[in-house]
Amino acid sequence: MKVDKDKDEGGIINGLLGLAASYRVTLTQLFRKPLTESYPEYKRPLPARSRARIILTRDKAGGERCVACYLCSGVCPVSCISMQSAEREGGRRYAAWFRINFARCIYCGLCEEACPTLAIQLTPDFEHSCRHPLDFVAEKEDLLVDHGGKDGDYDFYHYAGVDCGEGKGTHEAELPPVDIKSNLP
Amino acid sequence: MPYLIIDNRHIQVPRGTTVIDAAERLGIMIPRFCYLKVLGAVGACRMCAVMFEAGPVKGLQMSCMVQAADGMRVSTTHPEAVAFRRQIIEWLMINHPHDCPVCDEGGHCLLQDETISGGHSRRRYTGAKRTYPDQDLGPLVQHEMNRCIQCYRCVRFYQEYAGYRDLGVMGIASRIYYGRFSDGALESPFSGNLIDICPTGVYTDRPSRFLARRWDLQRADSICLHCSLGCNTVAGAHYRAVIRQESRENVRVNGSFICDRGRYGHAYANLAERPRQSRLDGEPAGWREAAREAAARLKRIAAAAGHSAIAVLGSARNSLETQIMLRYLSHHAQWRPPRFFVNGSEARSTAAVVARLDSRLAAGLPDLEEADFLLAVGVDPVNDAPMLALAMRQAARKGAKIVVLDPRPVELPFAFDLLSAGLGDLPAALAVLVKTAVSQAGTDGCEAQEKAFLAALPGRVPDEKLQGQLGQAGGWLAASRRPAIICGSAIAGPELAGLAADLALLLQTGKTPSRLFYLLPGPNAFGAGLLQRGSRYFPSLLQDIEKGGVRALLVVENDPFFRYPDQDRLHSALGKLELLMVLDYLPSRAARAAHIFLPGATVFEAGGSFINNCGLLQYAAPVHEGGIPLAQVSGGSHPPRAHAPAPGSEKCPSAYEALLFLANELAIRPPTMDASPWSLLPEDFPGQAELLAHPYPTDGLQLLPRLSEAESLQTPVNLPTSGPAAGALTVLRVEQTFGSEELSCYAEPLRQLAGPPLALLHGADADRAGVRDGEQLCFEIGGEKVELALQVTNRMAPGQLIIPHHYALGRAACRLPAVVAQAELRGLTGQDSPDLPQAITES
Ligand code: SF4
Ligand code: SF4
Ligand code: SF4
Ligand code: SF4
Ligand code: FES
Repeated sequence: MKVDKDKDEGGIINGLLGLAASYRVTLTQLFRKPLTESYPEYKRPLPARSRARIILTRDKAGGERCVACYLCSGVCPVSCISMQSAEREGGRRYAAWFRINFARCIYCGLCEEACPTLAIQLTPDFEHSCRHPLDFVAEKEDLLVDHGGKDGDYDFYHYAGVDCGEGKGTHEAELPPVDIKSNLP
Repeated sequence: MPYLIIDNRHIQVPRGTTVIDAAERLGIMIPRFCYLKVLGAVGACRMCAVMFEAGPVKGLQMSCMVQAADGMRVSTTHPEAVAFRRQIIEWLMINHPHDCPVCDEGGHCLLQDETISGGHSRRRYTGAKRTYPDQDLGPLVQHEMNRCIQCYRCVRFYQEYAGYRDLGVMGIASRIYYGRFSDGALESPFSGNLIDICPTGVYTDRPSRFLARRWDLQRADSICLHCSLGCNTVAGAHYRAVIRQESRENVRVNGSFICDRGRYGHAYANLAERPRQSRLDGEPAGWREAAREAAARLKRIAAAAGHSAIAVLGSARNSLETQIMLRYLSHHAQWRPPRFFVNGSEARSTAAVVARLDSRLAAGLPDLEEADFLLAVGVDPVNDAPMLALAMRQAARKGAKIVVLDPRPVELPFAFDLLSAGLGDLPAALAVLVKTAVSQAGTDGCEAQEKAFLAALPGRVPDEKLQGQLGQAGGWLAASRRPAIICGSAIAGPELAGLAADLALLLQTGKTPSRLFYLLPGPNAFGAGLLQRGSRYFPSLLQDIEKGGVRALLVVENDPFFRYPDQDRLHSALGKLELLMVLDYLPSRAARAAHIFLPGATVFEAGGSFINNCGLLQYAAPVHEGGIPLAQVSGGSHPPRAHAPAPGSEKCPSAYEALLFLANELAIRPPTMDASPWSLLPEDFPGQAELLAHPYPTDGLQLLPRLSEAESLQTPVNLPTSGPAAGALTVLRVEQTFGSEELSCYAEPLRQLAGPPLALLHGADADRAGVRDGEQLCFEIGGEKVELALQVTNRMAPGQLIIPHHYALGRAACRLPAVVAQAELRGLTGQDSPDLPQAITES
């Protein structure tokens, strides 16, 4: 290493100046309004995109958005989502039960990214600590909310071409069903 | 042997190989939709485009339509080919309903894979999409036509390959529709294959609809246990229930497909009423406690009444490991040799087959597909072993002549000649047919013994019409180059099996090389046949029980009550036993009657080896651990909120493990506790040395003995030529595709398809008895009623009353007599009809 002998001559003065400057910072901060936010006395509003407690949302008509497609459970890196899909009267696919083990969840948000119906969403609500591990295991009734969360207008069933009682060809950008008994042009 | 270059790699392939297959041999999977090796190429989807850079063909071509030729240089990654395929898949997706999240194909969908591998992730098309109505195709297959990409695989399988016409293609232009003319259950017993071959989610598995994604299933290679063919499957379990089966390719057995009985027959493994609790004298007990008590009682009985007071009944659905253990155990404990068949005729037929089938004769299903003349005798393929019908159809498509000699009104999905002969006439009719053929082909090559054998065969049957038909069929047989005889065992006795072997040998020594294909009564009947040597049959055992010579009976995976004709006798005999010990996984009557009951494990939990009708040993791997299906534990809601041990997860030990435990308690110790079951095999067991030396290959190990020429032809002993006396009807109990086989008849969707039971009668007999088509027959036997509708047809042999083994007929139907008088038939239709004679004697 190369030592610059010329610079070293003013070393003592520079050192003292540096010391004084740091005292100046300390002194000025001492009389300012504090920046620290005391938690839990103050709870800072978090952006909607923050990733904490998971919810299952509903569509505008109040139906469960989740179609139990197993994409979130398939993508979850810690395998903390499990469910059983089933068929409702009318043909809608839904989750007969749906369970998330929050003791295992790492809040990575991959489930939300995978969800084709925008049903599963992470929310800013990060405050849940429990004494018993089983209290972290949330069932469907604990997860279901009564709103649409982010992007609340989207409804998978308005776009997908499956018939859940409203008839074929009635969804967005669909032609009426083909008449299979006709060969007319 | 063309030699070509694909993506700079050299390969030589047999002449006639398509470029798409040649690439697959190199491990290059060219995208495809319409091409399927078994169905051949049609070039409908344009997905398999590749660039031919040099050679006889040039430019962008469909690799499924071009046969490999010398000097070809092919690029699958040529920019033009990649762009072409990319546009094709985008175009095929134009009308796609974007419903993958609710589609059961999602996760193992070819359309998904090829869309993604084509580089697409967003839809560019914003116009309106075409939609289709869907149809109700019955309880097995779900229809969702919006997902179709018009590849034609389904119709080509359904109509061309399988030969059924009720599903087809309709419409024109961009409105092509695949389905039935109107809603209704698919008629083909192979309809489930649509699910496997449709590259999208148009056809999906209906019983497991919306239950699980393929990636969540515990999957393993399994074997179908619903008939003796041993088709290969992949079984999938989810949350402790077996929910889906798919076909698994095995070119030595089933090829690429399976039948619907095999695909949907697994419901017995998930039954809510499946017994899972061991019982000691009717009270719940621990498994080990019950097994120890069984050992203690067995010891006591052996001490008091001798070792031969203990007998063992296995079954044709036991794994080979279980059968070996049963034989080992009874041999070393000096009990009576194990029996495996409740029905004496089945036991003797199987013994005859095992004694006669050898490597000179044995044909597999693929051999039948290549035959040019098929003679099926005593077989109703679609009802006895459905995949046999599919193999026969492939022969028919290649131009084979097919003749079926049977009393039943056999229906098959291809053109064939049905020669109706009564049950008693079958052996003689078969002999006449073959005699005609051999005589026509000339007996120059025959030795004296064969000539004597030929001369001893009957030359005529009493029925003139049948005689003419047999003569004609004999001519076809004489003219054929690769004939095969298919011989059933469900209705005909052991004489027919022996005669079929003799005649096949006779044809081999003459000018016509012939192969032989037997059906057997059960998935491991062959194993039972090999291991039952030296034992007498169950009916004789019953006598010994009645006389007090046998005091303890150990029943392993069998239910004597399932089909034994004389239910009262069986009931009272088993009641005399000091110890009836039953080990099974079915909620059977025997299981309920047992003093000591041990719950068993199904093939999906325990795995096991099974020898199919051709002597091929195959292994079914365990699919899951077992335990009570989660849906039953939790009642459909979320699973119990509890830590391990998870409620309901206790598994049942396999029969092999249970018997090993019992052997240990009885101080009968195999050489080592972890010894392979093969080390317990008797030494004369074929293939024993190979089995011990190394595990058998995954596609099976052929276990046929090579019998000596000397014991070949056995002069026929007075072949019967007619059935019972005039005015009497032979009662034939027959199998149905659905609803009659012991395991699959628990499956609800198959029960729906089984329909109500029908009795069949020839028109002439119906006239004489004064009964009409559609009339309700009501037999009253021992105070119990058997009701079934009568169907009158002339497409069957007269003199027979054909009644199916049908789950809905109940126990009393087992007791139908072997012969009824025509006059009685009418009398039996009323409420106050007299009882039928109950005399059914079986040796
Ligand atoms: S946030 Fe991540 S870890 Fe948590 S459930 Fe979703 S995918 Fe699993
Ligand atoms: S990805 Fe969405 S729709 Fe699918 S199961 Fe999960 S929450 Fe339900
Ligand atoms: S239904 Fe399936 S197999 Fe049939 S044409 Fe359509 S995509 Fe192909
Ligand atoms: S033919 Fe027999 S072995 Fe094959 S799948 Fe059908 S029932 Fe099973
Ligand atoms: S796979 Fe070749 S055109 Fe369809």
